Amino acid sequence: MKYFLMNIGCAMNQADAERIQSVFNGMDMTKTDKEEDADILGIVACSVRQKAIDKVYHKIHEWNTWKTNRSILTFVSGCILPDDKVKFLKKFDLLFHMKDLPQVPDMIRQYGIVTPLAGKIQPPKDSMNESNETNGAQDYFSQIAPTYTSTFEAFIPIQNGCDKFCTFCAVPYTRGKEVSRSSADILAEVEKLVLADYKSITLLGQNVNSYGLDKPGEEISFSKLLEEIGEIGKRSGKNFWTYFTSPHPRDMTKEVLTTIAKYPVLAKQIHLPLQSGDDKVLIKMNRNHNMDRYRDIMNQIRTILPEASISTDFIVGFTGETEEQFNRSLAAMQEFRYQMAYISPYSPRPGAASSSWADDVPHVEKKRRFHVLTQALEETSLEYNQRFIGKTIPVLVERADRKLGYLSGRTEGKVLVRFASEDQTLIGQFVNLHITSAVPYSMEGDLQSAC
Amino acid sequence: MAIDHKNPFILLDKVFLTPSTFVLQFSRNGMEFKAGQSLSVGLWGYAERREYSIYSGEKDDFFEILVKIVEKGKVSKALSKGKIGDRLNVYGPGGFFVPSKEEVAIKNHLFIATGTGISPFRSIIRSNPRIRYTLLHGIRTVKDAYGLEYIPKERYITCVSGQKAGIFQGRVTEYLKKIAIHEETICYLCGNCEMIYEAYDILKEKGFSSDRIVTEVYF
Repeated sequence: MKYFLMNIGCAMNQADAERIQSVFNGMDMTKTDKEEDADILGIVACSVRQKAIDKVYHKIHEWNTWKTNRSILTFVSGCILPDDKVKFLKKFDLLFHMKDLPQVPDMIRQYGIVTPLAGKIQPPKDSMNESNETNGAQDYFSQIAPTYTSTFEAFIPIQNGCDKFCTFCAVPYTRGKEVSRSSADILAEVEKLVLADYKSITLLGQNVNSYGLDKPGEEISFSKLLEEIGEIGKRSGKNFWTYFTSPHPRDMTKEVLTTIAKYPVLAKQIHLPLQSGDDKVLIKMNRNHNMDRYRDIMNQIRTILPEASISTDFIVGFTGETEEQFNRSLAAMQEFRYQMAYISPYSPRPGAASSSWADDVPHVEKKRRFHVLTQALEETSLEYNQRFIGKTIPVLVERADRKLGYLSGRTEGKVLVRFASEDQTLIGQFVNLHITSAVPYSMEGDLQSAC
Repeated sequence: MAIDHKNPFILLDKVFLTPSTFVLQFSRNGMEFKAGQSLSVGLWGYAERREYSIYSGEKDDFFEILVKIVEKGKVSKALSKGKIGDRLNVYGPGGFFVPSKEEVAIKNHLFIATGTGISPFRSIIRSNPRIRYTLLHGIRTVKDAYGLEYIPKERYITCVSGQKAGIFQGRVTEYLKKIAIHEETICYLCGNCEMIYEAYDILKEKGFSSDRIVTEVYF
């Protein structure tokens, strides 16, 4: 029996998909990349972005048309808003919350997978009412080991859910309350990956640096967790880079930064979402930090980790954002000199608090602001990359590049670098590259040696 | 304290303060919270929930929230029809609109609310009997002066914009412009975004730094 699994979401959804894969593999099913060959077709969805949800509807519509000729079972999981959940229940045969993943084999067995579709599985009891249950530690990450999709890069969920309630975001309604995974489990997974020669490990969480805050006295802090990983690196004598995403400025501490400075295996790369450079917009976004606080953290990063690459997130055209307020975002982009920024024109998500406010910045104006901010980013990104010209730096080779005869990889600071080589055995290895040129977002170099 | 998942959150009482505003009381099930935090609440069996600041105190045996029935609000309407004994869908607590114990002990506080934005302040006052504060409450009519029953008169300034009544006739931000505020005061603002923006500007003009202005926008 074959299954097809599609991830339409972020790295967290990817981590979910890797665990779903383990469950299906454990049922002696085989993964296929061809939808047409699959008996079970599933989607790990993300209600947080409208585009992702549109894709889900498109796909399930297509799959449901196949049912007249074939016996297939469809399912959906991931981050799903209550409204979408109601609609998906009518379209998919099975909808489950990730915390119910261990029960999925039972759900599928109940279904009678080889028989034609004869009725729908009821969702797990009270699945519309997750609240009381999600207040408990639903640690499915620890119960089910992932099936890693890469042999050199892995994502480790360490925390799930969000308590921050930013008004533009629906994550608290899809993922529930912040729950930290056991540090013993996380560290065991890190050890295993290091032993297996993984080169890039990313700790994942909706508010990754809030790790442990939900279990005071019971669980270690985020900086302590990083320190433990640093010690694993030290003991192993191996070379790897550990990243984390996505932190919240509110919970960023000096201890986290000093710990990163202390250990070579903790990558000198910080993603620190700003969203807006205007204090009032930050208030309306319920970000729980202001520009002064953010500036303090940035100064600490520049002092403690002077070589760090820093990236951020911006939303342009948030409800009510004036030209003056947008200009403060532009000023922030210029002040903080980011290496990378993920800029999104605002789009209201049903379920998020801001969806009840007028989406009053015209689409054309959002696009203009997006382009203005992108132009500013190009300047700062180029400025960051140019500092490497003439230097030899380590790069983790990731794939064959689109440019024929080239491979590409990333620096410790996550900058894309291309170099001429057709030696596919380098993929997944560190190499030393002599950087010869730089443009915004990427660089080119010459291969010097494998590390 | 661990949550007893076998005991659901049950609606215990519902008291209307005005035809469109009511206090919803429900079981607490040992859930801890800090005064100023909120809960996400809906009726059991319904997909939708909405955030409400906790109205009751940290030591109360129950939870209370202050609900305004909103014309297009699915949750507020559903909750208004809830019956005693109904099961609720409760998630939380969350939020950072919380004065620290140390701050409560030594600082003066200026609380500024509009409408049901008074809710977290009731919880803060009830949970910290020794807190030093003045509460400015922007309301349309005196019927909405929900704080009258529990706030000493000298600490409760009603700013009534829709009728000639209350301590101050006009918007709460107009009153704020007129008063002198001790420089060591910490200001907490809760209510609609327009009030918060305006009050924020006024406080900045009065010399308050951003770290002494704490906000919670209602939507």
